[in-house]
Amino acid sequence: MSNKPLQDDEFFSRLAQKTEAGAEVKRAPSRLRAKTYSALIRRQQKSGPLLHLAETRRAGHGLCVFESFWEHMPLGSAAKCFNCCSICHARLLGEKVEPPPIYWGHCPYVAFKKT
Amino acid sequence: MDPTQTRAQATQPHAPVVPEPSDEQLVLEVLRKDRKATAEFVNRHADHVYSYVRRRLIPHTEFADDLVQEVFLAAWENLEKFRGESSLRTWLLGIARHKVEDHYRKRLREVQVPGEEESPLPEPVDPHSIEEAIEQEQAIKKTQEILAGLPEAYSLVLLWRYWEKRSLSEIAVSIGKTEKAVERLLARAREQFKRKWHEQ
Repeated sequence: MSNKPLQDDEFFSRLAQKTEAGAEVKRAPSRLRAKTYSALIRRQQKSGPLLHLAETRRAGHGLCVFESFWEHMPLGSAAKCFNCCSICHARLLGEKVEPPPIYWGHCPYVAFKKT
Repeated sequence: MDPTQTRAQATQPHAPVVPEPSDEQLVLEVLRKDRKATAEFVNRHADHVYSYVRRRLIPHTEFADDLVQEVFLAAWENLEKFRGESSLRTWLLGIARHKVEDHYRKRLREVQVPGEEESPLPEPVDPHSIEEAIEQEQAIKKTQEILAGLPEAYSLVLLWRYWEKRSLSEIAVSIGKTEKAVERLLARAREQFKRKWHEQ
């Protein structure tokens, strides 16, 4: 290493480069994932309904027990685009508790705490 | 999630095997407003966006949650423009950078700049010993601690100039000050940083 003192700009640029290169990827809290997901879904709904639950299933995604029940209810097609999470306690727990005490399958708020 | 698992297997071991979607496929599914794809979109990219935003907000990481949400909402608003020329992560980090710079701009207009008028510039600290210190193993932790201990205006301007690599004139235009004023602020920030580095 050179003994010549670095100019300030060079010193700070190098320091920034070193700290960036060595920075770890920090896990986003499940609570933040949950809030971000909820906000995204709300925003998506502003420009029209969500994808029909049956379409979501056909795309290879599992539905949670509540969504499956809803999918098979004798309701009109528009109702099948309903965001079941909006009235589910899993969403509330997911957004508020770290980690949330929720465990059933195919619930995004459960997946957020696992990954 | 185990990267070798499929998305259905992640939550249901005997589910049909559905391969992980590419960035482009995931974007198409999110654009269709598939709620599960939207959850996967958040899950897949939240860590990198969060880490980046958090690093750039030191010491005020309490703003990180709001900014991360803003990044994903802005991504949704612009998702139709995603062409796959870069990875989805790179594209999202580009949005995150804009959000962070918006935050710098806002905060630098709001926070008080310490001793801007009354005190003369501090004596410069010889950077010779700091040069060697950059190579130290604890440089990252030490840098974060010092940034966290600086007045907010100082940490903001250092991060903006050196970590976001913006020129003095770009910063000056953004916050409506002269280049000279930004240079003065930056000089004070650098000197205080170096002084703290020596003290630790």
